[in-house]
Amino acid sequence: MNLKQIIQHNIFHRGQPKRTWLDSQIGVHATIILLILISFVPVYLMLTLSFKNQVQYQHERYAITFPLRLGNYGAAWEYLDTYVWNTLLAAVVGFIGMLILSVIGGYVFARLRFPGREPLYYSIIMLMMVPWIVSFVPQYVLYNDLGLTNTLWAVIVLNIASGPVFGIFLLRTFFSGLPEEIFESARMDGAGHWTLITQITLPLSLPTIATLAVLNFLSTWNSYLWPMVAISDPKYQQVSVGLFQMARNLSSNLSAATEMQGGPLFAGYVLASLPMVILFFFLGKFYVEGLVESGLKV
Amino acid sequence: MAGQVNLTSLNEQVRLKKEITPRKYSIWAQVLRSWQAYALLAPIFIIMIVFVYYPPLLGLVRAFFNWAPNKEPVFVGFANFVSYFQYAESGREIANMTKLMSFNLISGVVVPFVMAELIFSIRSSASKEVYRLAMVIPILVPGVVFLLLWKHIYDANIGPINGLLEAIGLGLLKRDWLGDPATALYAVMGVGFPWISGISTLIVLGGLAQMPESVFDACLLDGCTGPRRWVMVDLPLSLSQVRLLIILAVINGITSIQNILILTRGGPGYATSVPALRMFLRAFTTNEYGVGSAIGVTLFVVAMGMTLLINRFVRPYNE
Repeated sequence: MNLKQIIQHNIFHRGQPKRTWLDSQIGVHATIILLILISFVPVYLMLTLSFKNQVQYQHERYAITFPLRLGNYGAAWEYLDTYVWNTLLAAVVGFIGMLILSVIGGYVFARLRFPGREPLYYSIIMLMMVPWIVSFVPQYVLYNDLGLTNTLWAVIVLNIASGPVFGIFLLRTFFSGLPEEIFESARMDGAGHWTLITQITLPLSLPTIATLAVLNFLSTWNSYLWPMVAISDPKYQQVSVGLFQMARNLSSNLSAATEMQGGPLFAGYVLASLPMVILFFFLGKFYVEGLVESGLKV
Repeated sequence: MAGQVNLTSLNEQVRLKKEITPRKYSIWAQVLRSWQAYALLAPIFIIMIVFVYYPPLLGLVRAFFNWAPNKEPVFVGFANFVSYFQYAESGREIANMTKLMSFNLISGVVVPFVMAELIFSIRSSASKEVYRLAMVIPILVPGVVFLLLWKHIYDANIGPINGLLEAIGLGLLKRDWLGDPATALYAVMGVGFPWISGISTLIVLGGLAQMPESVFDACLLDGCTGPRRWVMVDLPLSLSQVRLLIILAVINGITSIQNILILTRGGPGYATSVPALRMFLRAFTTNEYGVGSAIGVTLFVVAMGMTLLINRFVRPYNE
């Protein structure tokens, strides 16, 4: 018997059962499951509605109906494919650029000692405190002057430039925890910074990099305001903006038939969620553990 | 635990190194010797200076100018700030922002804390892991899709809320939740109910996981259990994480407009309008970039001030 059991046993036998609803694990499980189920309602609605045709959409909105109308997905994909490819391209290129800068920065701040290290580090970390709101308007003007607006670079450059702020913070913390002995012995063997980064630091920190990847992809995939303002050509538009336009077109142009267009719209929502689901399938474990175990704080 | 061990050994190493190799280089010699470090950092800083430092600084300066992308800036002093505060609806927008921000403290701090405690009190580690993963799944739906789904849930004609009310015989309560000035702001707050998903709960769980086991035994001996322990023991011990959530909730309350832009665009009338949305609209629909910058700078100062206040008054025991 562990301490907890002994105490509970004693309390019980002294005739003071101080049992609250928390002591019954079943109650806690039930509460958690109920809350999780409620938070899944939007996801459930999205999935069921995406498989309905017009009649089903109007008359049987909540239950799962058969046959599943997979054609909705074809219709949605036709509308969204450019946006999805654009966003994937921007997310991958942006992430690679941002990762290179973050790894270099994290490595230099974690493993090298040089005058001015802390001031330089804090001058980067400080940028996390500047909310988007103060830079948003001038940022648009800057990108406009440089000819970056209305191209995919508007999204990519923003990610490469501002992603490392958090990236360096996260990676420095992790890199500092790596044992110095490994670096020392590699240096003995004549390894330079390049070798130290690619052969030692990177392989040892894949879980942290996975966390960073999920966070970064989520933010590119979700970004809405910036592409809406910076990109006007539908050829380069990002998926979030495309989805919003899709929803708006369906509800404004076809005022009478709004409800009839439901299925493909929701299929589009599902398609737009899939890349994140796939990414999460592979990296989700690292992401959750990375967040819980790093004990993130200010 | 592992972190602490590493830290002490690192300190030890540093101390030893200092003893073995007394300082003999001047600061300039050290700078020269570390040229590689600066060379590696140079590209990062060049990119950041252009794309990350420059825009907010420009915003700060341009808040005092009348300007637009292809227009020569003209210095106007505080006119942009005055222009916003003289605007008839600014009081209402600030009130809306305050309400949203206060509500964020419940949906972004209290609820995640309680949820984290519930999961933390689960004894089976397998179920714990399943719950942690299940909580993250809804955030895989892109933000815009999530908001559009909630817009659908609130819909007057085909939304499930009105459908449910009708089904249980409360058809009288049916309304256009986002289109009715009386309910629109509350409908915006209600988005995401029950607010457990996302990283906030995970962050608190991270704090709770770092509490030493002995604390729980001590609590048990003293008969401090359940919600009482959450508030009296767990809250102070995970205050670093909770404070992060408080700061995020406040900053979000001040600066987030994506939800409002997609759900209501500030309407109906000005029922859900907030200063940040006004900043966006002033700059990008009426081309008043100066007023936009001025609102942005004001909100930045407010957000920064609140962050400093929170940091000053919410102090973890180990700080």
